[in-house]
This record gives sequence, structure tokens and C-alpha cells, in this order.
Amino acid sequence: MFKKIIRLGVAGLLLASLATSCSDEQQFTNENTDARRIEVSQLSADMAKVRDYVPLYAVAAHRGSIFWTPEETEASWRWAREMGADYLESDMQATKDGIVLANHDENVKRTTNIQSFFSDYVPTEVRKAFYRSFKNSDGTQHFSEADIEAQYQRDVNDFRTYYTMSYYYAELLMLDSGEWFNLDNSTKEQARPKYKATQLGRVNNTKDGLIYSNGLYVSAIQDQIAFAEGKKLKRDANGVRILPYKIKDKYKNMTLEEIYNSEKKTVKCDDPSVSYSYAAKYMDFVEYDFANAYVNDEQDTGNRPGIYIEFKESWLNPKDMEVRVYNVLHECGWNIVTNPSSDTQFYKGGKVNVGNTNGKVILQTFSFDALHRAYDVFKGQVPMCFLLWISDPPYATDIAYDTPTGYADFIRYGQEYGAHIIGPAISGAPNNYPEMNQPWQAYMIRKSGMINHPYSFDSYAQMSKYMGYYTDYYGQGNTTMFDDVLQLTIPATAYTNFTGTKSVPVYMDGFFTNRSEISLRYMIENGFRCNANLPNPFHPGQKFDNSQAPSVVPDVEATLVRLGY
Amino acid sequence: MKKYFLIFALAIFAFAANAQDFDTDPTLKVDNNEKDVHFTIGARMMADAAYYNTDFTPLQSGAAITDARIRTSMRYKDWYFYADFGFGKGKFAQKNIFLQYTKTTENGDAHSIKLGYYNDPAGSMARNTSLGSYHFISRPGSSNALGEGRELGISYKYNSDRFMAYQGIFTENAYNKIESGFNGITVAGRYLVRPIIDENQTLHIGVNGRFAHMGGGVVTNNVLKKTLYLGQPLETYVDEDDQFVSCELPWIDNVIDLGAEVLYHNNRFFVRGEYMYKHTTKKRDSNTLWEASNNNIDTWGSYDWWLAANPLRSDNFHGGYVEAGFLIFGSPYKYNRSEGLLGGLNGKALEIVARYNYTSLNDVNEGEYFAVGRNQYYPNGYMEDWPYASSSVGGGKVNSYTIGMNYSFNKYVQLMLDYTYHRLQKDFLPYDKNVHMGQARVQFTF
Repeated sequence: MFKKIIRLGVAGLLLASLATSCSDEQQFTNENTDARRIEVSQLSADMAKVRDYVPLYAVAAHRGSIFWTPEETEASWRWAREMGADYLESDMQATKDGIVLANHDENVKRTTNIQSFFSDYVPTEVRKAFYRSFKNSDGTQHFSEADIEAQYQRDVNDFRTYYTMSYYYAELLMLDSGEWFNLDNSTKEQARPKYKATQLGRVNNTKDGLIYSNGLYVSAIQDQIAFAEGKKLKRDANGVRILPYKIKDKYKNMTLEEIYNSEKKTVKCDDPSVSYSYAAKYMDFVEYDFANAYVNDEQDTGNRPGIYIEFKESWLNPKDMEVRVYNVLHECGWNIVTNPSSDTQFYKGGKVNVGNTNGKVILQTFSFDALHRAYDVFKGQVPMCFLLWISDPPYATDIAYDTPTGYADFIRYGQEYGAHIIGPAISGAPNNYPEMNQPWQAYMIRKSGMINHPYSFDSYAQMSKYMGYYTDYYGQGNTTMFDDVLQLTIPATAYTNFTGTKSVPVYMDGFFTNRSEISLRYMIENGFRCNANLPNPFHPGQKFDNSQAPSVVPDVEATLVRLGY
Repeated sequence: MKKYFLIFALAIFAFAANAQDFDTDPTLKVDNNEKDVHFTIGARMMADAAYYNTDFTPLQSGAAITDARIRTSMRYKDWYFYADFGFGKGKFAQKNIFLQYTKTTENGDAHSIKLGYYNDPAGSMARNTSLGSYHFISRPGSSNALGEGRELGISYKYNSDRFMAYQGIFTENAYNKIESGFNGITVAGRYLVRPIIDENQTLHIGVNGRFAHMGGGVVTNNVLKKTLYLGQPLETYVDEDDQFVSCELPWIDNVIDLGAEVLYHNNRFFVRGEYMYKHTTKKRDSNTLWEASNNNIDTWGSYDWWLAANPLRSDNFHGGYVEAGFLIFGSPYKYNRSEGLLGGLNGKALEIVARYNYTSLNDVNEGEYFAVGRNQYYPNGYMEDWPYASSSVGGGKVNSYTIGMNYSFNKYVQLMLDYTYHRLQKDFLPYDKNVHMGQARVQFTF
């Protein structure tokens, strides 16, 4: 019996030692370790070619500027262009007449005076005046009163308060898109009297129908492109925008009812086999004269940034949104599929030249629907950024499992549907977004061959963190476990605050910033801009040259004053 | 009389303190043959050590007291009372507690009525077999995923040499601990024929069936939502993580289980196996939910659209196992006729065993896309912002292969060693394909 107990004891000890000698890496889930263990799909050679249309370390001015100017307006775009940003960023939504405009929120309540200007109901007088403003060649009213009344009732049924889909673009041009900014910043240095319209929109039944306001407007995508091209809005002596409209030829012999019930389909301009239908409520019978809506900006100093445009959640927009944007880009000469560029220099003579290259347009979206449709329309031939967000409980387009496995799944899915860039949220004040660009996440993006464009930067501290310096704040040579892939050696330039070279892990390849002036200065001083010998992580051994980028960041205030604000 | 009082007090203490289903004969007995009163008390302890090797998601290797029980029983003439309580892993749990009346006829046929909390007759052969008498460290995974355990109810069993018919009616929850609804109702039965049964060998073939109407759930938006959880650990107790094979089934209404079993043994060899099939039906108050969904600017537009966007269908799952053992030396294998089960090792013995188990909790619609980053199926084959809900269930599939050796030092102490290889397939855990585990158990029963 004693021997048996001894045998049992020995067996128990052996088992216990086996159990306690288990490999440590099996003991818990470690994102840093797992990120290296799992497969990350690689961008194809064709996709990599399109990826390389985008300059490394690109600075995208988030909504133009949300700190210094009313966002996504003429002021914000012109300012960002003059500051030297590489891209003017925006969010696309459609009006009732199908104009693609720039608006971040799901409605225009926050960024216009719509609540005080229109009621929360269909703008009755304005809407009817708008319909009456269409004239025949003999000067008579085009649509009958009965037709207008019936259409008004349909408008009532289709109305969704303050959403862009409920208003004609001409109606939105009656609003003031600048006053709210002054009210929000009344005690801060950003508020400027010039942001506020001195004259709001009104109805003039005897003349032009709708008279626009004379301040900052909700921008159409054509406006954004014009600002990127060094132009500004054409205005009359009172500062009112000049943008006449008429009935599109296709609809000129139809009543409003016939227009409402007509086939609602948008065909891709260069490929009739691709078309998307849209809901009857979208009355895109109005043609605005965008071709004559701009003048050269006398304050333009030659920067030619690209545009970075976001397809919003699919329910905000008609189903033809992606093909509609494709066609607008084509009409503006900004569709690199139909009108590719031979210019490959992102910077020329100390000026931004991205807007003249095949990198002039970057698409972006959180939406799975938009990603899917954009792939069908753009075929992955235009750079696309797949944006990532996480919340609890997860929203419909969120990544719900922000684990290496979940992250790899979204990277693969993005690639499958034409994305070349991943756009993760970053933490830090004042937005305090969830952190989705930890070193292991930046590592996975880099490993996939995709570009990493995190959003959005507001501070020098954030810039420093994601450019890797926070791991080596005191110059002690601290390392992270992903340095083998993320570590870059940056040579000094005439503009850097260091000499020789500096090696740092870099957790991004470009970014969205709310503070272009801070970000650009940081990039220049730390050698990521205005440098002829930057390492190219996507092409090891090759250099990336952005030495011709502007080396001086203009003064914010002086620039705003120079631009007339 | 004092002696009887003491034993009774011990039994009460056992209830109050803590103690399963033992099918071994307890050692500690107190008999009063004059009055035909018989008390027993017993206990059991299982200490397991396990080493796991996984591809990706870790399991925690280590050791644990996986089971500790105290049992007691009292028999008076044809009446039998039994209770056992567990406190393994530091948690107290009520196990079996029942009263049984048995009348044996002159030709040896037995008629029993059993009332209390005990294993569902159709819960599977494996689940009805005491773990203390099992020839593997764990029951097969399929029996844990698809079988049933204890339920509160009343049953009638007819048993003869050739036949066993065991059926009963049960409730869903032993303590009526449900938030809303009622305590459900289950009817279940197990039926065996024994073409061969003698001193040295038995062949039994059986079928079982179970119908459960789920009653309890939670109320949301004035609708009772009943949910069924199915899952199995990877045939181990040291880390009972069941995320590899598990699923949650909302809007459950009825559960139908069908099973078939075969068992053969002779003195030195046994083989047994089961097939289990589970069919679940769903039900919900769609109209009320549709109306509640209208309290929002974004609605589905019409009831028919809402229904199309929120499909509900029944699910089907299945699994099974085959086990075999060979006795190198020791007392021959014994068959428990009254329970229709194979007994455990008895006295000094050494055996080798092997098992194959298959469990599938996958019921996925063809053509759907699964997004790992969202743990969600998409019916149209790609991700959408607001897709129709999927009715797919991706609980996971596993094929498990076990070989083992059991050494019984004596009637009380047994050492068990198992090696198991699991081949996994679960959409949400794409990097977990292979799991290897070595396990050992020291078991003490009296």
C-alpha cells in the first residue's frame, strides 16, 4: 500500500511539473504577440500601384479646418490650401436635387442657421418660390400652380427635418454657414466677424426667385475642387454667390409630377453597364452653372492640394451616390480613371502639387455599403481609405472585435473591396476617440502593404506620439517590439530640429489633422517633410522625396486676414 | 435508535453542507435489518491536472479539484431516498436529490416511480452514467453540448432483462428561477432492448426522445424572449472554456431531442456509442416587436419588410461518439441492468480506452459571409450597413480523438490518463484549428 502511495505521489508530482512548465505564451491573449502570429493579407501589385499615387506623410486638412474656420466652407478650404495641406478633407451628402455637398453631421443643424431660418417643417414659401422660379423662354412660369401644389405635398411626405436630402441646393445657399462658428467660439480667438453673413437668403418672386445669403455656404463638391484649384466663389457686389440654375434638358418638357415619377437611374459616364437607381424623392432636375461659378483667387499662392472625400453612411444618401460622385469628378476633370495625369511630382518649387497628380482624389468611408458600391464603380483604381471606428454596443459599421483577428479581418475585407488605406481612430484630447492605432495595429497595417492614415490630430503631443518619439522621449533609444517593421531612420534637413539622423518607430504614413499649422510644422521640423532622402517603407531601399514641399508654414492669423476673414 | 439518529443527522449535515450520482456501492453503511432500514453515506473527490496546447486562443493549463461530493441514501422497504451535493472548484451545487419507489414482481421485473431532481432519461447514455464510473476523464463533448442533465420531475421505469422503458415529465428549472414566463415542461423517455444479457456480456440497443417546451425568459418591449444556450468544454474540467463550441439561440420555443445508442461489453472489452440530434423551433411576438420598432424615424416601412429583415427559423444540430475499452487485468466489466449503463472499474484493474467524438453546433445558411471583426453573418454574401438579420448559427464543430489508460489501485483509488486531439472549426475563431491536451486524474471514491 505504501509503495502505491509513493507511486501515486511521484505521478502527481510529474503531472504537476508538466502543468507548471506550460509555455508562457499560452497563458493569456496578448495582442502584441497575436499580431505577429496571424496572417495579414497583402495588397496586390495592382492595388499597390494605386496606393503609390498617394504621397507619403500626407497631411489631410480635416474638414478644411474645424479649429480656425467654420468647417467645410470656402473659408476652411482656402485656408487649408494656403497653409500647405496636401488634401482638403470632406464628407459627402446629397441634396434633394442630387448635388453632392460637403457636410459632416447627419444634418445641417449644427453648422448652419437652418433652425432659425427655416422651421422644422418643409420651407413652404421658399419651396414654392423655388418651383416658381423656373421660367419658360417667354418669361412665363414653367411649372403650373397645381403641379407645384401637388409636388409640395409629395415633398411634405418625403421630408426629413434638417437633412440635406430634404432641401434643394439653392435653398441651402440661403443659409449662413458661418455664424454658428462665431457663436460657438464667442470667447475664443477663432471667432471672426467676416464669417457671419450680413445678408441672409430671401425670396424675390418678381426677379430671380431665391436670393442666396452673402456669407459662407454649404459647399458643393465642385466648390471644394475649385478651391483646391486655387479659385474662389464668384460673388456679386453684395457678396452674394452667383450660381444660376435651370432645368436640365432631359426634364425640360416634364411636369414636376412626371419628374417625380420618371426613371431614377444614374449611369456611370464611361461605362453604361454600371448604373444605380435612387429614390423618387430625389428631384435632380436642376442644373447649376458650376462651370461659371468661380473666379481665380487673388490670394492663391500656388498650392494645389488634392481632395479627400468621404462617402457617409449609406442611409443618408441615394443609392447612386458613388456613381454620382464618379461622374462629378469626371465633369470637373478630377476623375483619374477617365482623365489620368502624367504629372507624378507631389511637390514642385516649394508648392503642393498633389492636386495635379493621380493622387488628387482619395475616397474614404466607414460604410460597408459605400465601400461595396464604390468598388463596383471605381474598381479600386482611385485610392480608397477604409475608416475604422469602435463603440459599445457596436454601431452598424463599427469593427466590433478590435483584436488582431478582427483587425486582420477588416484589413482583408477592405482590400477585397478596393481599399488601399486604413484609417484608424486615435486617442487624445480634445476628441478622446478610442485608440485604434496602437503599435500592433500600425504594424498590421504596414504588414498588409496598406497606407495608415489615422484620424484626427489636434496637438503636438499626438503628432509626437504617433511619429514614435514618445517611445524615445529622452533620447534613450527605447524600442518597441515592432521596430523591425515600423522603425525608420530619418536624415536631418536644413529645417529639422536635429542633426545627423534619427531613428524612430512611425505609426502612420499620413493623417487627418484639425490643426494643419501644428502638424505641418511638426513634420518639417522632424524631417518628414521637405526631405529628399526619406525612407520609403513600401519600397525598401528606395527614397521618398518631398523636398519641394513648402518649407515654411504661414502664420494662421495672417493667412486668415490675407484671405479676407 | 441513537445510531439511526446520528446517521440521519449526518445525512442532514450533508444536505446543509454540500455532496452526484454515484453508481458505486457506498462503503459506509448502517443497516437495521429488523426494521428493513438502510443508511449509506459516501464521498468522492477528483483532482485533475491538464496541459493544453492550442493554435491560438489559449486554454489555461494547470490543476484543479474538479469534483468533490458527499452522498447519502436511505432505503426503507421499497422506498429509496438519495441525495448528493458537490463542492468542486469551491462552488456548492445541489446534484441529485430524489425519492424512488420500486416494486419488483415475482419474475424479477421492476416498476419504479421516481420523484425529484435527477438526470433526464433521454439526456444521453453518457450523461446518465456517473462521472465516477466513466472510463474517460470527461464525458464525450457531444453529450455535454446536446445531451441534457438533471431536471426536476417524476418518471416511471419498467425494467426487465430484455427491456427497459424509462419515461417522465419534468420542469425546466429546479428552483423555478425564471425572470418571466413559466417554468417550462419536458417529456422524455429512454427505451432499451437487450438481445444479449448474461453474466459475461450484454448488448443493448436503445433510442431516446425528448420534447421540451421552453417557458422561462426575459421580457423586452413587452415581449417574452426565451433563449437556449448550448455548449461544451473541450472534454476537460481544468479549463471549462466552451467558446470553441457553443451558441446562443434566442426566441426558442420547443426543443426536440432524438437519440440512438448501442452498448456491448464482455468481460474484457466494451464498446458503446450514441448519436444525438437536436431540433429547435422558434417563436416570437413579431407584431409587438414590429410596433416597437416603429418608435423611430428609421423604420422598416411595413410589417412584411420587418419580417423579411428579421427571419426566424428552426435549427438542427447533431453529434455522436464511439467509445471502446480493453481490460488488461482486473475484475470484468459489469453492466447495471436497472440503469441500462456500463459500470466503472472495480478493484485493482488496468484498462486502455479510446474514443471518437463529433459535435456540430453549426447551422449556417449557404452563401452567407461571416465577418470575424463583427462576429456576424451577412445574408447577401458581403458586409452591409443595415443588413437583414441572419438566421445562421455558427456555434462551431469539433472532431475529438482520445486515447487513455486507467489504473485502479483498489476499489477506492483510480489514476486516469487521457490524451485528446481536437480538430476545430468555428468561423469566429479562424486560427484555432488544433488543440492537444494531456490530462491526468486521481479519483477517490467511497
